[in-house]
Amino acid sequence: MKRGSLVSLLIYLIVAAFIIFLTVMLFRALVPEPPQPEVERARAAIARARDHRSEVYSPKIYREAQNNYDSAMAAWRSENDRFILFRDYERVVTFAAIAQKRADEATRNTIIRSNNLKANLGSEINRMREEMQSFEKIFLSMPLPKDIKNKHSRGKLLLREAEIDLEKENYVNGNVKITEANEYISGAYVLARKTLEDYYKHYSDWQEWATSTINESRRTGSYVILVEKIPGLCHLYHGGKKKYTFEAEFGSNWLGDKKSRGDMATPEGKYVVTKKLSGGSTKYHKALMINYPNKIDIQEFNERIRNGQLPADASIGDMIEIHGDGGKGANWTQGCVALRNDDMDLLFKYASKGTPVTIIGSTLTLEEFFSSSQK
Amino acid sequence: MKNRFFLVIATVAAVALMTSCAKVPQEALDAASAALESAKTVQTDVYFPAEFAALNDSLNVMLQNIETQKSKSAKDFKVVKTNADAIAVKAAELAGNVEVKKAEVKAEAETMMAGAKTLLDEAKALILKAPKGKEGKAVVEEIKNELTVIETSLTDTQALFDGGTNYVQVVDKLKAATDGINGIIAELKEAMVKAGIKI
Repeated sequence: MKRGSLVSLLIYLIVAAFIIFLTVMLFRALVPEPPQPEVERARAAIARARDHRSEVYSPKIYREAQNNYDSAMAAWRSENDRFILFRDYERVVTFAAIAQKRADEATRNTIIRSNNLKANLGSEINRMREEMQSFEKIFLSMPLPKDIKNKHSRGKLLLREAEIDLEKENYVNGNVKITEANEYISGAYVLARKTLEDYYKHYSDWQEWATSTINESRRTGSYVILVEKIPGLCHLYHGGKKKYTFEAEFGSNWLGDKKSRGDMATPEGKYVVTKKLSGGSTKYHKALMINYPNKIDIQEFNERIRNGQLPADASIGDMIEIHGDGGKGANWTQGCVALRNDDMDLLFKYASKGTPVTIIGSTLTLEEFFSSSQK
Repeated sequence: MKNRFFLVIATVAAVALMTSCAKVPQEALDAASAALESAKTVQTDVYFPAEFAALNDSLNVMLQNIETQKSKSAKDFKVVKTNADAIAVKAAELAGNVEVKKAEVKAEAETMMAGAKTLLDEAKALILKAPKGKEGKAVVEEIKNELTVIETSLTDTQALFDGGTNYVQVVDKLKAATDGINGIIAELKEAMVKAGIKI
């Protein structure tokens, strides 16, 4: 090959290389930059939101972030299907920016919401614990309907489940549980209080009976017996002054007046001792028989039969006594008042035939009762 | 002649730039997605939530990488293929671990269930010996009532266990029930000690 031809070939090659270089440079300048940084920022923001459990605490905003991210990816794929020089990633960038914004918002919202839920769960657990303890203090010994006590026990179990959720940082679940526990515990408390309020509708009678009995003792200088069912006490008064107070036990269904035989309730009203029984005349240590049913009891019983509150074949019952063999720590009698034997000995000593016996719910008002129970 | 030469050169360069021959490793990608899907089916998201989320994230990064490569004039999917393979392997591994973890939690739930039932029997036996002191019977009645509620809850939990949907939830419920029974037993024992009754 001639030297001239070689030089011209070399020039051709240099020019060709230059053209290729220019083409590549031009091409690279024309190809749009992929939106990778924007999409990556969005993905990282979503991952952060997810790590904070935004799916649980801010589901709507988190879903929006996720949807926008998916749209960004779909738009990116769609642009990549086009001819390389005609691609436009503006929509991808827009979607990614919204996704990032929403994800950051979800994270912020989640932090606030989970803190609020945590605080709410903690305070509700404390409130429920107090309400539960209050229920147990006030109503535990009362013969409340079983469904009320079941409600309370169910609430107590749910409260424990909520406490476990708090320990495990499951604040959403915990709040669901504590709301349910609240329904049971507060529901039981409200029903129990309502039962007691209904019982307290007779308070004015109790007050009148107690006052007149004590006044009678003061006026005549005699002994009188006053029995209070709610605090479970039997007082002996002399000359209007309290001489002794004994713990007393009643019928297992003591919350309310006696209505008929076998209802396990202890009657309420003004009675007198009709008989003093001891030795072989009573199966208990000693006993003071009272005149239940009195005139008012008979009147009320007949009225209940008439208005259908009691079946026609119901009987009123009798043989109500204040007797010994108490101190069992339970309301176990069939309607009598039971005292410990040594207390019964004292009462038996001072009581005689005709000694007034007044049985009431309580001398305390409902509010006084609640505040004394809280102490 | 010269013009034709340059034209050929330019065309070759342009074609080479515009048509990169690298292809998306679709098979590996499908395998990774399928592995993740089947991991979810066996509740990997329940038993290994953090690991499952991280894997999902890796998939997202990989999909991003694919689009990044597709956006370039010169594509390279070698890393994508490696990542997809790694995700598939990890997802399968996690799914396998779920079975192990599930069995562990199931065994824990079984042990706790048996323990709770034993405790329940113990509490019932203690009730028979419970003191009859002040308010004793009322307290015993209340305790009996509470035990009945816990027993019902245990029956419900047993049904949840038999369903096999979520043993973690079963364990939590059993923990609450066990705590409840333990509380009752402690209360009964304390009362018995106070009353001088031999436990």
